[in-house]
Amino acid sequence: MVGRTLWPGESRLKGWVYLFPGLAIYLVFVFYPILETFHASFYKWDGFSSNRTFIGIENYRNLLGDGQFFKALSHNLIFLIFYCIFPILIGLVLASLLGRRPLPGMSFFRAGLFLPQVLSMVVVGVMWRWIYNPAFGPLNLFLKSVGLGALNRSWLGDFDLALPAVGVIGSWVQYGFCMVLFIAGMQRIPKELYEASELDGAGSLRQMIYITLPGLRAEFGVALITTIVAALRVFDLVFVTTRGGPGDETLVAAFLVYRSAFQQNRIGYAAAVATVLTLVIFLVSFLILRVQSRQEE
Amino acid sequence: MRKPYRWKSFLPNYLILTLFLLVVFLPIFGVLLSSFKTQTEVIQGPFHLPREFQFNNFVNAWTTGRFSDYFRSSIIVALAVVSVSVFLSTLTGYAFGVLSFPFQHILYFLLLIGFMTPFEAVVIPLYHFMYRLGLTDTYWALILPQIGLSVSFGTLWMTGFFRSAPQELIDAAAMDGCSRWQMLWLVLWPLARPAVLTLVVLIFMWTWNEFLLALVMVQKETLRTLPVGLAFFQGRYTADVPRLAAGSIIVAGPIVLVYVLFQRYFIQGLLGGAVKG
Amino acid sequence: MRKTYLLLSLTLIMAVLLAACQPAATPTQSPAAMATEASTQPKMTEATSEEPVAETKLVVWDQFYRGVESEVIDQLNKEFEESHSGVTIERVSKVQDDLKTTVKLALSQEDGPDVAQVNQGRSDMGALVQADLLLSLNDYAAKYQWGERFSTSVSSRNSFTADGKAFGEGNLYGVSPTAEVVGIYYNKDIFEENGWKIPNTFTDFEKLLADIKAKGITPIVFGNLDGWPGIHEFSSVQHVLVDGKYINDFTYGVNNASFDIEQNREAAKIMQDWVDKGYFSDGFMGIGYDDSAQLFKAGQGAMMITGSWLAGELTTDADQQFGFFLMPQQSTDKPQLAIGGVGIPYSIRKTTKNPDLAAEYLDWMVSPRAAQLWAEARFVPAMPLPADFKIEEGSLFADTVNAWNVINRDNGVGHYIDWATPTFYDTISAELQKLFGKEIDPATFTANVEKDYSAFLASQK
Repeated sequence: MVGRTLWPGESRLKGWVYLFPGLAIYLVFVFYPILETFHASFYKWDGFSSNRTFIGIENYRNLLGDGQFFKALSHNLIFLIFYCIFPILIGLVLASLLGRRPLPGMSFFRAGLFLPQVLSMVVVGVMWRWIYNPAFGPLNLFLKSVGLGALNRSWLGDFDLALPAVGVIGSWVQYGFCMVLFIAGMQRIPKELYEASELDGAGSLRQMIYITLPGLRAEFGVALITTIVAALRVFDLVFVTTRGGPGDETLVAAFLVYRSAFQQNRIGYAAAVATVLTLVIFLVSFLILRVQSRQEE
Repeated sequence: MRKPYRWKSFLPNYLILTLFLLVVFLPIFGVLLSSFKTQTEVIQGPFHLPREFQFNNFVNAWTTGRFSDYFRSSIIVALAVVSVSVFLSTLTGYAFGVLSFPFQHILYFLLLIGFMTPFEAVVIPLYHFMYRLGLTDTYWALILPQIGLSVSFGTLWMTGFFRSAPQELIDAAAMDGCSRWQMLWLVLWPLARPAVLTLVVLIFMWTWNEFLLALVMVQKETLRTLPVGLAFFQGRYTADVPRLAAGSIIVAGPIVLVYVLFQRYFIQGLLGGAVKG
Repeated sequence: MRKTYLLLSLTLIMAVLLAACQPAATPTQSPAAMATEASTQPKMTEATSEEPVAETKLVVWDQFYRGVESEVIDQLNKEFEESHSGVTIERVSKVQDDLKTTVKLALSQEDGPDVAQVNQGRSDMGALVQADLLLSLNDYAAKYQWGERFSTSVSSRNSFTADGKAFGEGNLYGVSPTAEVVGIYYNKDIFEENGWKIPNTFTDFEKLLADIKAKGITPIVFGNLDGWPGIHEFSSVQHVLVDGKYINDFTYGVNNASFDIEQNREAAKIMQDWVDKGYFSDGFMGIGYDDSAQLFKAGQGAMMITGSWLAGELTTDADQQFGFFLMPQQSTDKPQLAIGGVGIPYSIRKTTKNPDLAAEYLDWMVSPRAAQLWAEARFVPAMPLPADFKIEEGSLFADTVNAWNVINRDNGVGHYIDWATPTFYDTISAELQKLFGKEIDPATFTANVEKDYSAFLASQK
């Protein structure tokens, strides 16, 4: 990430003035507690009492040793498909259909297609648990009615299918976010480019590849980072659907954090998991931003 | 000047969109329908029409969820968080995207850590910190951390926008003798409309739906927000699906409203075609 | 175009200014506003109680947030305020999960709640006692003679040693107003239609399961998506195979109890056997508890194994008639043992400024009057009902009260085994899902669970 050039005679510190208010609130109310969390990861602490014992890297050793963390992390990696790849693809297609031309009825579609993103997670959970319900859920009923009753499963309770089943819900929720980002980005692409290419006889696929995608580079980067972050720190979706089950087939890292912190009084361990997770997320995002700014140079 | 699009040639577009909307909408339609049902009718099937439409589910949801108090809290918190953090993110994004200053890289990544950390772990240290400051059980305990978090994402988003702003425009502004401050508000801010409005919608949505902070930071009835109220329909043993459905429709309403309203504004920009590359 | 945008920018700035003053102004809202809001049903006492100088406020956190339960508490609070002039009760009610998440943090603060419902078991009450945040109720128990209302078995569930390490002995830290017992609900209509009777022994019960299955009816409605219902399913059978002493030892972590024993493997085997024979609802792994309850209520199965808390739900707007019986033992002369216990107890924060008043409040919550109100609301009270209280013969409520009385009398109140260690709930619910899903065999199941259990016992030493 390279800054632009200074104006002649301009103070190098001017940027800090713009930065200061936002950064200050962030540092005090977000970053400082994050540091405290990091600090807590070296202690045995229940989270509320004054009994805090320093235990060094014991929590990290537990985390690396108990296998649960890696299992959870591997589920997060699978979620990348559902939280990142699918939503970006779907979002791109929908945005290209919705974002450019002021056709009649488009605002209706835009609002409708954004709905999954705004619903409270509790409802999303109830809704999909019912869709997947083996006894009276529409999915199995539908399969049965088209003669595919043999495919009936207990979905969220199935040891092989629970993870992808939860993942699909993730895609359903998340694509709206990508769609909105891309629609916003498309407003910046000059219409003349499209008009010119249309005169040249370019089809919509070529327009997508040569005009839309390059024009959306900034939004693409944000969408990529945000969805990757979302996939790696997903919590609420698992909480409202399976709580990590069956067994620990849908256990994800952030759920491990929540469970250890709020149900098992193991703040130190929770903090250690959170720290490692943040590190992983940070490294991935760092790489993406690096590649992105390389491209721009 | 421009020939109007003939919408018939876009029939395939409509078809794809409609198909998609159906997939998205069927489950939501199910929720909508169950919000008018009785408990027992819920398991009879998603698209089974209720014997009679139970409009009082909404009234019940409103009182059980204690929405009248919670709505006010939600609005206060969301307004404060959205307005302050959009303003501050614009400044930070401008600094990172247009200006050049020492430690730029480090500070950028420092800011991004906020939305990368799983907040479930941070809430407890944050609670103790807020308590020491005497801010628990006040709106500040909800507003300040959420501003911090929103600025973290907002910086990423707005930096992306400002960095892609054409250099010629910036140079031209410099030639005209603009100050940096004027350049931001007079030259770039108008261009930033789609980006800013999108940010408003996203932050509003996240703040509106935030649950864990709202649960932990405030205990006074009058300060609690809507998502906490929604939890009242879900017990350890049984959930009240019709009321939950009704309640969530009430809760989702304002976000949809904000989204539709703001989409209007920025799509209108299309017709103007003000942006030149 | 420009203009609307300008307008928007302006509103933003306005909102910033607005936000700056708004939050400071609102928190000064009086707590009275909250109190009136919380009690939608009965009207609160007249506002005249605002003038006395010696006004005391008691902050109480509970999880009775649902309609009828909430009304019982509101009524009790109102009567308590009426008999104690100058005392106001500031009630904060939460969903149980949310209470669990927040109550420990709140009790650690100087201005936390005076009285709060704290879940039994090591991860909640135990941890709080360890942190020295709860008041020992021994003196009050003597003063108010709670011993006459609760058996030792019941009060030991709310007891810890002062260091919080040993569970089931030592000081009393809470009193519970309601009781719970896990047993078997049956659909009376289905039973009558087919001439089935309540079984007397466990063998009869398994025979009944086979008979029901043969008729093409689901014998046991079950949904294990949420994990915890499986604990009740497994543990009900476990309670048939082991004795009360084992369950006590295991739960309290004494006398070298182990999970990896023959009886537990046997219970696990029976579970898998029932799965194979199709005794549970189709697709039970993917059905949530709520949905299973609704399926049962709608008559889609003959029986359901769950707790007495479901009785209220099953008697409102149901087309079917339901009854309740305890899981039969292997032989009729073996004393009845069933999962059960008392509801979440009320505890007092150690640093409260009004311990005596708080204790008086606790005593009121477990008074005969409270018992009567709970029973009227169709909840089984933990304390004896007033002698003149009449229960409708043959009703579902009569069945659950009767079941509670039987195990209470026989000293056969078992345990929720998930209290055993702070992580036990998560471990056993996950392992049971694997067991029910046939991912692991009974021996692996008991071994895996034992790993959690013994690791905890070792850490206690």
